[in-house]
Parts: sequence; structure tokens; C-alpha cells
Amino acid sequence: MMGLTLNVMHMGMLSALVILTLGSIGSFKNSKLGFYGAIIALVIAFSAITITVSAAHFLSYGIFILAIAIINLVSLEAIKSEIKGVDYGLVGLMALATMYIFNTSEFALVLAALVLVSVPTYILVMIREGGANVEVGIKYITFMVLATVLFLIGAIMLVYTKSAFDGSLYVLGYVMLVLGLCLEVGVAPLHEWVPDVFSSADPIPISIIASLAKIVPFIAALWILVYTSCDLTVSITLFTAVIAAISMFVGNIGALTSKELGRVLGYSTVANMGYILSCFVVVAEPKFIYLALTGGLLMLFANAAGKIGFFNAIKGGGAYSPLMYLLAFSFIGVPPLMGFWGKLFILLSLAKMEYFWLVAIVVINSAISIPYYVRLATELGVEWKPNLTNFICLAAVVMVLVTVFLLPVEWFYSTMEVIAQTVGIAI
Amino acid sequence: MIIDDWLVFLLLFLAPVLSSIPIALVYKSDKWTEKLPYLSVFGIFISVLMSLYIFTSFPENQQYAYTWIPDLGINFVLITDYLSCYMGVITAVIAFFIAIYGLDYMKGDYRPSWYWFFFNLFTASMLLVVYSDNLFLLFVGWEGLGAASWGLIGHWFRDDDEIAYVGVPKRKVGPLELSWPPSFGGWRAISTIRFGDVPMFLAIAAIWVLAGNLNISEINWETLFLNIGAAGTIILLVCFLMGLFTKSAQVPFSEWLMTAMTGPTTVSALLHSATMVAAGAFVFIKISWYIKPWELHHVPGLEIVYIIALFIGLISGLYGALAGSGMLERKVLLAASTMSSIGLMFAVGAASFWIHEEIAGINLALLVAFWYMAVHAFAKASLFLVSGHLIHATHSRFSCGGFEFAKRMKIPFIVTIIATTFLVGIPPLTAYWVKSAMDKSMEILWHEHHMLLPIILLILTSLIYSAIMARFLSLNFVRGEKPEHEHLEGGGLMKLGYTMMVSVLFILLYLIFTNAETKGFVDAGYASVSFAVGAGALIAYVIAVYVPRLKVFSRVPGTFFNDRMYLPFLNDYIMPKTGFFISHIVQNYGNRGIDGFFNTRVIPGLFGIISKGIRAIQTGYLKSYVKIVLGLVMVFLIVASLWGLGL
Repeated sequence: MMGLTLNVMHMGMLSALVILTLGSIGSFKNSKLGFYGAIIALVIAFSAITITVSAAHFLSYGIFILAIAIINLVSLEAIKSEIKGVDYGLVGLMALATMYIFNTSEFALVLAALVLVSVPTYILVMIREGGANVEVGIKYITFMVLATVLFLIGAIMLVYTKSAFDGSLYVLGYVMLVLGLCLEVGVAPLHEWVPDVFSSADPIPISIIASLAKIVPFIAALWILVYTSCDLTVSITLFTAVIAAISMFVGNIGALTSKELGRVLGYSTVANMGYILSCFVVVAEPKFIYLALTGGLLMLFANAAGKIGFFNAIKGGGAYSPLMYLLAFSFIGVPPLMGFWGKLFILLSLAKMEYFWLVAIVVINSAISIPYYVRLATELGVEWKPNLTNFICLAAVVMVLVTVFLLPVEWFYSTMEVIAQTVGIAI
Repeated sequence: MIIDDWLVFLLLFLAPVLSSIPIALVYKSDKWTEKLPYLSVFGIFISVLMSLYIFTSFPENQQYAYTWIPDLGINFVLITDYLSCYMGVITAVIAFFIAIYGLDYMKGDYRPSWYWFFFNLFTASMLLVVYSDNLFLLFVGWEGLGAASWGLIGHWFRDDDEIAYVGVPKRKVGPLELSWPPSFGGWRAISTIRFGDVPMFLAIAAIWVLAGNLNISEINWETLFLNIGAAGTIILLVCFLMGLFTKSAQVPFSEWLMTAMTGPTTVSALLHSATMVAAGAFVFIKISWYIKPWELHHVPGLEIVYIIALFIGLISGLYGALAGSGMLERKVLLAASTMSSIGLMFAVGAASFWIHEEIAGINLALLVAFWYMAVHAFAKASLFLVSGHLIHATHSRFSCGGFEFAKRMKIPFIVTIIATTFLVGIPPLTAYWVKSAMDKSMEILWHEHHMLLPIILLILTSLIYSAIMARFLSLNFVRGEKPEHEHLEGGGLMKLGYTMMVSVLFILLYLIFTNAETKGFVDAGYASVSFAVGAGALIAYVIAVYVPRLKVFSRVPGTFFNDRMYLPFLNDYIMPKTGFFISHIVQNYGNRGIDGFFNTRVIPGLFGIISKGIRAIQTGYLKSYVKIVLGLVMVFLIVASLWGLGL
């Protein structure tokens, strides 16, 4: 019975991959085929996973991923790239990996998912109208390669200590993995590529890199750190806490004093990644992981929705003003928008771990961030026009507004609790 | 049955407020504001009926509790003990009589909506204070008193009519002009009262923390005091008493009551003689009732608190009487005598610590204090109402009017005679019996506890008090100057108001002779000391009627007393100067430091440096980024390796 259900999921994933490939090939003839191929592949994978895994568990996570991926796919309409059609396939591949990582406990597959999400962005980042943005590509790829290498070596070291414990190896592995993660997602002080790439690449691919590509690295890192946690973890979490604090300050102060909108969003990403990294302090205490998972994921989704909206608005020369303000308020953390819940659960997880100084820093940073988010909304806000930009922004706003009703939050939270329990049992 | 009880209480508290909302809403319409006062008065009438119903039909000492925030001890807890039942009726009846008087007195005023809303809000708040057993609920009513007092004193906020002022305009003494307009009077009242309310609120909070209960009748005061020791008891009770002393205008917080006379006379009658200022003494009597200090002589520190209350009361009594002896302004003279009377209430209430004698299970001293409050309320309210009528009739707030004037103003004249003689303790009129028991209480202090000073101060105060009341009568009706204006028509409802008010004094006299618990008063009245004091009061009264002003004394000490012994300097000069000095220091040394740290130098400077640093990294060159990142990664890895090796 077990074997059969697993097979359904894998069959589904496999057929999704085939459809994705066929769509991409077909797109050389007609770019629409790539788009529809990607959509169909995602729906098949989503349904296959939902049927296999206890539906309620995956739905709350999968539905957000599906939404983000579809908005990303649609937003690609706004740019006429040289690889039109294939880019759909790449985004589809990332989304498949992002869905899949939540449902596997195979170490190798976790790492594979990380690489699958990382590599397509190397190509996406260079997309621009008429030609390839090679300079940005080189800047980006240099750091991504370093990041992936650090992450993989760190992960392997950590997993090795699980079978043959060695304290110094654990510490080294932990630091390498976290540094890899920092480089990958852009946590200060290893964030140098972020402001440059975010301001000089095309906004559309950056909106994908800033949204869909951020989720898997965090889940993979959290998964490995929880899986390999030991007696040393309590003291080493201080390292992630300090890095997170630095990242929040660098990101927010940088954003506050930058002029270019893309650069502001780049620094905002640095700050947001700091918030999310801060909840990694729970890896020492598996019983609070559900709080970190809830907070981190909601924060990632809120960040994704906001970045998609803002970057698309930059591309489209502004979007409907109220939508921009709603996204800004979500970033600031105004209840009951999604950003608020993300921060709330992150703060709760920090408080449970008694990292009260970090709680204070998160709150202070939320306050620092208010002016530049409001400025973003003011500068990008325009009159309503029924165009693609506004529809994408509307979709993003609907996402952050889902949490206006308490039910989704409660549902998400309880799901994460169950998932965390199963993770705990697995350990 | 419970619902019926609550319905009575709800009507009692809400009828005055609800009935004054319509007039507050239509404040722009002259037509409606002329008619709707009758509705407001009707609301107070309902309260009268309810208070009488409670008095006659509710079981005594019954507690009515409805939980609100039980975690903080904040509940609707009302009690129908002896004090509440009587005081509730007194409050409602006085408010009702004054409201009737006010229909006439406030006719043609420029903002009737404001007046009636606050007047009725005041009545409801006072009733809440009276019936509440829960200290927090009491405090809610207490703050209502303060707010209504501010609103009503400053009723004539335009300060455009000299007749509403206190003091002689433009008369300067040193740096101060001894003249106060209504708006300033309102401000002085609320600021002085807040000065006491804050420590009182803290004391209530402390009681909750220490005793875990806020219901006055349920708190185990003995355990509470023993737990916190002598210093704790003194600090707690003195903080609590601060609220009572400021509200009751005891020295040195008495100034606000004098300038409260800038309000309409109805307000002076209701708030600033009969009820609100008496609320301080009332609450003091009420908590002493349940603390039972005469049983707690083993509690350290408690005696000191009661000595403080005793002497603040006696000193206020003497101060008020002396100040009144130099005053010519009708209402201010009455205000000074009011603080004097309330001082005596505090003093005799505090004497309960040393007095064990009980009548019908009630401590003699507390009973005397309470009955004196009742007699004083009706007598003084009558006098205020009369003086309001006189101000209307003569267009002057300074005493004037001779015997000719009195002949044309027969009813006010007779009411004044009754109210003054019944109040000052001339045998065998109402207050005589109460004052006799008061003399007896102080005698007990002298004979049994060797405290001679209280009885001396009490007798001295009684004599001067009698003289200033006679002086009020004489200057307005017997030997005063002829008024410049005379406007004697109308005023029917005014006359009705104070005639009804003063007639209650006869009922009280009847009650003293028929009630079981006041039998002790009658016995005390037959004692020789009491009779001697009563005779003294009569002599002082007669002399003062014939010689209301002594030329020899009119400059010194008359002016000194009239200027309230220069206590205004404390309120208007020393306190503000101290405040400005503190704010100067805070501004120059505190704020600049805080400002410099947060807003101008340290934090912004750091912010600038950090943000420059952050942006300086972004050179745009891959080469430098790689250097930074690789360098940092190496440093982190080396540190991690070293740390790992150390394990």
C-alpha cells in the first residue's frame, strides 16, 4: 500500500517533468506551449502530491507555492526574452522542486531540490530584452557557485556527524552550511551581490529570484540543521542569531538610505532574509520548530508576494496605489496582513527560545523599515489601469490579504504543528 | 428579585445621566434648551425616588455584586450600609432641590446644555461614590466628581462678567493679582484634585496587590496593615488620604475651593458645600467604619495616620473659620466656613481611633461626623442658595443689604436665620445636639488620652464659626450697606428651592430625638460642657449680628484673613515656580541629553556612519565583492575551526 502511494507521487512528478520538457521543446515553435506546459505540469504535480500525502498537510503549503509560481509564470509575459518559452520551463522546474522538497525525507533529494532551484536562476538572471545580461550573470553565478559548494559540503559534513559524531566537524559543517545559505539568499555580511544584481538586472527575473527561489534554501537548511542537531546546537545558534541581527540592520539601514528602487528592494531582501534566518535559533529545541516553520514560511510568502508586486510595478512603470500600500503594509507588519503573522510567529519562536535581545532587534528593525516601504509605495503608486502589472499586483495583494481571515492562519499554523511533530518523530 | 434590585440601582445611577443627554445634544437650539431642563430635573427626581426606595425597602448591610473584571478585583459592588442609605437620600434630595432652584437661577444662561449635563453627571457620580463598596468603582465615581467640578466651576468660561470672579479685580499683593476668573477657577480645581487623586489611585492599586480584594467591607484591614508594617501603613493610608484631603479642600489644598466660587451658585451649593467636598470626609468615615481603628491599637503606624487626620481637620477648621471672619464676598465666606465644617468632620472622624463608645453598634465619633455632615449639607446648601438669590437681586457678589432690604426679602431673611442658627450649635437647635456629641468626643480624648489641644481647637473653631455665620446674616440683612441695585421680582422657584432645603433641618431635629442611634447626642446635649459651648456660640452669634465688622480689625488682621493668610501664594506662585524650575532643569539637562542621544547626535551619527559604510561596499566591481566575500568566509571558517578544535 505504502509503495503504491509513493509511486503515485513519483509518477506524477515524473509525468510533470516530461510535460515540462515537451512544453519547452514545443515552445521553439510556439512560446505559448511552454507556458501551458508549465501550468499543466504544476497542476499535475500538485494533484499527485496532494493525493499521496495527507491532503491537509500539503495543501496549506502547496497552494501558496502554486500561486507564487503561477504569478511568476504570468509575469514573464511582460518581457520578450530571447529564450521565450524555455523560461517558463525553468520556472516550472523551480516550482516542482519547491513543492517536492516539503514531501521528502531523503537527504540526497533535499540537496537535489536545492540545486534544481538554484541552477535555473543562473539563466533567468541574464534575461533581458534583446540579448543577455552577461555582467549581471557573472556577478550572480560567481556567488551562487560558491554558495552551493559551501552549502553542499556543510550539509554533507553535518550528516556525517550524525553517524560518527565529531564536535569540530559539526561546528565547521554548521558554519559552512549557514554561510552557504547566506550567500545563496543574500544575508549580510555576504550580501554584496544583492543590491547590484537587484538594481541592474531586469525586474521580472529578479522578481522570480526574490520570491520562488528563496524558499527551498531555507527549508533545506532548516531540515538538515534539525535533522543533525546535537548538544552543541544550543551554543552555535548564537552564530545564526548574530548574523541575522547584522543582516536586519544592514538591510534596513541600506534600504533607508538608498535612492534607486531596485536597490531599496535588494536591501529589503537582505533585511527580510535576516528576519527569517533569526528563527533558525529554534533548531536546538525541536518542540518549537512549528513556530519557526509557520513564521519563516509566512514571512517567505509575504516577501515573495511583496517582491513580485513591487518589481512588476517597477517594470510596468508603477501600479495602482492602494495595492502598493497594502504590499508595503504587509512588509512593515501591519496586522492582519500576512507580513504581520510572519513576524509574529518569528517573534514567538524567538521568545520561546529566550532570545529576547533578538526579539528587540526584530521589533526595532520593523520600525526602521517603515519609511522606505511607505516611500516605495508612494513612488510606485499610480492611477488604476487595467493592465498586466496591475493584475499581477492584485494577485499578490490577494495573497497577503488571505490572512485577514484568521482561519487560514490557524489552519496553516496547525498544519505546521503536525508537520513539525512528524519531523520530530523522524529525528 | 436580583433583577429588580439591579433595576433600582440602574435607575438611580442612569436616570440623571440619560435625562440630561437630550439637552446636551440639542445645545444649538434655544427653543429646546429652554424646555429640556425640566427633563433633567425629572431624571434627578427618579434618583430621589430610588434612593428613598433603597432606604426604606432594601435590607441593611446587603452587598450587591456583579463581576466585571474579577482578575483585577474590579467589580460592580454596591452596598446598602447605614452610611450609604442615608447619604444616598441626602445627595439625591439636595440635588433635586437645587435642580428646582436652578430652573429659575440658570434661566437665560448662555450654555444651559453644558450646565445640565454636568450637573446631572455630577449627581450620578456622587451617588456612585456613595453606594459603591468596591474601591475601583468608587474611584470611577470620584473622577466623575472631579470632571463635573471642572466643567461646572468653569461654566462661565468666557470670563466676561465680573460678577463671576473671586477677589477684587486688579488688586495686587506682591507679584500676584488676587483675583480669579471662572476659567482659572476650573483649572485650579482640577489640578489640585488630580494632585491628590494620583496617590489615591496608587494606594487603591497597592491595596489590591496587598489584600487581593477591593471591596471596602471585605478587605481584612488588620492583616493588611500588619503585613506591611508601620511605615507601609503610614505611606499607604497617607497616599489614600491625599485624595480625600484635596477633594475636601483641607489645608494646604483649600485654595481651589475658594476660587470654585466662580461657578454658578447652584454648583457652589451642591458640589462645593453639600456633597462633593463632603465626599472626602464621607469616604474617610466609610473606610474608618470598616477599618475599625478603635480595635486596632496594636497595629503599628495606624495611630500616626489618625493623628495626622485629626490635626489636619482641626487646623482646617480653625483656618476656615478665621479666613471667613475677614471676608466680604458672600460665597467665598460660605466656602471658607464649608472647609471649616469639613475639617471638623475629619477631626471627629479621626477621633474614632481613641473612642470605643458605641451607640446601637455604631462608633460614636463616626456617627457624629456623619450626622454633622448631614446637618451641614442642608444648612449650608440653603445659605448658598440664598446668597445666589441675593447676588441676582443686588447684582453684587459682595455682602450688602440692611434691615430695609430684609423686610422686602422676608423669605430669604427667615431662611438665613434658620439655617445659620440651626447650624452653629445654639441650643436646642439641630446642630447643637450633634456638636454636643462632638464636644463629648474631644472631651474623651482629653480625659482618657491626655490630648487637650483638640478640644481647645474645637471650641475656638465653634465660637468663631458661629460668629462668621452671624456675620453673613448681619452683613446681608441687618447691618450691611444699602445695595446699589435692587431687583426683587420673581425668583419663585428659587425661594421654593431653599425653603424646602432649610425645612429638612426640622426633620433632622425630629430624627435626632427619635432615632435609636442618635440617643447619645441628646444625652451629650445635657452635659454641662456642651451647654457652656452652646451658650458661648449663642453669645458669639448675637455679638456678631450687632457688630459684623470691627473697624479696628478691618485692616489687620481683617485683610490678612480675607486674603486667606496668603495661601494663594502656595497655589499660584510657589507651586508653579517650582514646576517651571523642574521643567527648566528637565528641558535643559534631561531633554537635551535624551535629544542628543536619540535625535541629533549619537544615534543619527551612528546611523550615518553605518549607512555610509554599507553603501561604500557597493563599488559595483566583482573583484572587490569576491575579495570581501571570500575574506569573510575564510575568517568565519577559521574561527569555526579553532572553536571546533577547542572542543
